[in-house]
Amino acid sequence: MLSYTIRRLLLMIPTLVGILIINFAILRLQSASLTQSMQQQVGNQEGASASHQVRSQASYSAIENHLARFVRTGNNLPALINVRGWLDKDDVVALLRQAASPTSKPSVRSQAQSTLWLLGHFGVEPLEEVIADDSLVDLHGQASVALTLDAYVPLNIEDLKYMSEQRQDDIRVRNGELRKYRFPAGRDDPDYAEKRAKLLALCERDKKEFAHTSAAAWGALLRETGICDFFYKLFSGNLYSETRGDYVFHLIGDRWYVTFWLNLFSIIIAWCGSLLIGIRSARTNGSLEERVATSSLFILWSVPSFFLGTLMLHHLCTNGADGRAWFPNRGLESDDSLWLTTPAFLWDLFYHACLPMTVLCYASFTSLSRYVRGNLLEQLQSDYVRSARAKGCNEDQVTYRHALPNSMITMITLGSGLLADLFGSSVIVETIFSIPGLGLLLFDAAKNQDGPLIMGSTVISVLLLLVGILIADLLYAVVDPRIRSKYA
Amino acid sequence: MRESASPGQQAFERFWRRAAVRGAVIVLAALLLVGIYAPFLANEIAFLWVDRQGAHWPLFADLFNRTSYPRPHDLLFNLLSLLVPPLALVWWLLRRRLGIGRRLALCLGVVLIAWLLAMVPLIPTKSGWSAVWAHRPLSPFTSIEAHAGTAGSDVITAIFAPIPHRCDATYPGASLLPPGSINKATGTHFWLGTDDIGRDVLASLLFGVRISLSIGFVATGLSLLIGIAVGGASGYFGGWIDVLLQRLVEVMMCFPTFIIILSVVAMIGPDIFVIMLVIGLTSWAGTARLVRGEFLHQGVCDYVAAAEAIGVARWRIIVRHILPNTMAPIIITATFGIAGAVLSESGLSFLGLGDPTTASWGVLLEQGRENIRYPWLIYAPGIAIFVLVTCLNLIGNGLRDAFDPKST
Repeated sequence: MLSYTIRRLLLMIPTLVGILIINFAILRLQSASLTQSMQQQVGNQEGASASHQVRSQASYSAIENHLARFVRTGNNLPALINVRGWLDKDDVVALLRQAASPTSKPSVRSQAQSTLWLLGHFGVEPLEEVIADDSLVDLHGQASVALTLDAYVPLNIEDLKYMSEQRQDDIRVRNGELRKYRFPAGRDDPDYAEKRAKLLALCERDKKEFAHTSAAAWGALLRETGICDFFYKLFSGNLYSETRGDYVFHLIGDRWYVTFWLNLFSIIIAWCGSLLIGIRSARTNGSLEERVATSSLFILWSVPSFFLGTLMLHHLCTNGADGRAWFPNRGLESDDSLWLTTPAFLWDLFYHACLPMTVLCYASFTSLSRYVRGNLLEQLQSDYVRSARAKGCNEDQVTYRHALPNSMITMITLGSGLLADLFGSSVIVETIFSIPGLGLLLFDAAKNQDGPLIMGSTVISVLLLLVGILIADLLYAVVDPRIRSKYA
Repeated sequence: MRESASPGQQAFERFWRRAAVRGAVIVLAALLLVGIYAPFLANEIAFLWVDRQGAHWPLFADLFNRTSYPRPHDLLFNLLSLLVPPLALVWWLLRRRLGIGRRLALCLGVVLIAWLLAMVPLIPTKSGWSAVWAHRPLSPFTSIEAHAGTAGSDVITAIFAPIPHRCDATYPGASLLPPGSINKATGTHFWLGTDDIGRDVLASLLFGVRISLSIGFVATGLSLLIGIAVGGASGYFGGWIDVLLQRLVEVMMCFPTFIIILSVVAMIGPDIFVIMLVIGLTSWAGTARLVRGEFLHQGVCDYVAAAEAIGVARWRIIVRHILPNTMAPIIITATFGIAGAVLSESGLSFLGLGDPTTASWGVLLEQGRENIRYPWLIYAPGIAIFVLVTCLNLIGNGLRDAFDPKST
């Protein structure tokens, strides 16, 4: 049994890793659209001052805001492999030429520009060399912008927590200086010589911070990548939701149990109910009752859950002509639930959860009871049941003692498959009935395109799901002696 | 049952014998026709327009107009609306003469010719052609502006579609009207009411058939392709390929599919093709598992050994020998898969993550949820989804019972 459990646990690792990687890919999809939005914003400004490449201070502070957001979400890093440590002056010059040349395509230009701006501290040294080189004077404007953006350190909440105040102030001062010293117009800038000298002096002063050895480059190869950053933030619980202004796992910690209990009770109800229906219809197979039950369950199965939920909301939860609704239309508890006695509170909870649980589990009745019926019918025709009957067992004993335990095995496997569907439909049900659970959180996150929150709640849902599947697998071994003996 | 009939024919007879299944097939075919001929049923543009210059067919001229139908799937259905009659005719004429393969080839030929003919009025006017071009007969595909260039046109008669509203047109002052109310601008009826920005619900329902069906078919087609490839490779080759692919399938089986679809669509943006693609890419695990089982079962059969013995290529054994024998369960899962894809899309749209520019059923139902006191916005799309899903489920059930008579 232990080896079976360990085996099941090991099998979950690839599932979890697969889902994490897909989540990371989705996070990256969003970051691509962020780059576009940044480019669009800058592009509009560019259109305003068409002829020369001078942008207003406001547009650069917008870029800085974007950068800050990028750094907070880890999207400024390359996805899988970081080779920025090996960038030298020639590479940077090539990028600068791409970004500056009027003949190249706009997409190539913006791509090169955004690459330059997102180089981080790896870009500082080569860019400094470019600015120091008098023969590349036509690229100085571009290079100064890229340099000031790469050396710019956005302070995020994490940093503020762990950084000394002295250091924070230093960084703030330097960020301000960097803003002052950039000269986007290159040599046309009135204070070109002075700004250039000051910028170079500043780089010289903070050389230690921006320089990197080849060891650092090798270290950054895998460590300073988007995927590493994502996993680090995920496992250390530092995923931060921009739209809600809170840590993702705080938000989830407040709500996961709502979804968990709702789904658990729905599964139990669906299970017990469909077992009863299945047994009943297997024993009355062929009768009018069985046929009516089967076809009405089939029709119920085809009703989409969101349709049924909305219908319930319309007919049962909105105030009618007499001014009173049958059921509450939002939440899981009344406003005054804190002052209720325990039985009254439980009743209140049940009253609120009644409709949502119905919507969650009605479709499972059909599929599960159909399997129970089919399986039980098959078992009832098998040889061991015939010998039980020959021994003199009555029909109840035959059904409950002999045939039913054998058909329970399929029920358990089906139960675990049901969980995945339930998690999907809990998004819909929680949205319809405004239940503050994981599903509603995920839905809000999806609406607001809040990447980290989507990731966090997906991962937690998957974890809950995997735990459910593990429990089902273990139950499977408990019910089926063949599995136990195989792994004994 | 005839004993001489092939197993396939016997299964078909078992399938067709049940009244519920027959009804479902007929309703589904009717829905398909409604989807194909939606612009002929609900359109602002006249079907026939007769003035002093002669008869014009502005609706036909509009069929391939990218501004009226910006979505590619609409153009495809419009093309189908022109091709279905000749195809049906050819199919019917050749019903006894030729085998299915030749009939298919001929129909494809007809499609090609009809498509080329439809393209003729779209050829840009070349200078050398202009004299011929100016005297060409009035074609149903040229727009009314081209005809009405010379004189003011006095309308003699005009025939409109039975529902004279477009699905994506908003009618001013007509928001949230109940069913049967009158459009004050034109004096026509909104038979199923209007939504909150004043679109005709009935017209949206008719065009919604196109979206639901195309999402169902494309997403399921994609998931079948992946599922058959993965399951087939896994079942036929076995060994480490099987182990690897089975792990992949297990990962996909535990996927909370709807949640993944939700987050991907939220991130990439609500586009109908993204939705199709994501549904297809996440729902193939069941098919793969099924196909693997079938391949394991068929792979040890004598006919496969015989084919291998005479040196048939591996891919040929897979595609021509084993795959046809596994078609029945694949078709059954595909039917349920279409229903599932339709439900996924409606669920997404219901949550407000669908394509807001297309009039899909889920988008209508979402408006019903937001305007909870207007029941026609809930019932109309909800019943439409219910009917489509019920038909597909009934057909799937019927197929399962027909191909596998021992499981009832």
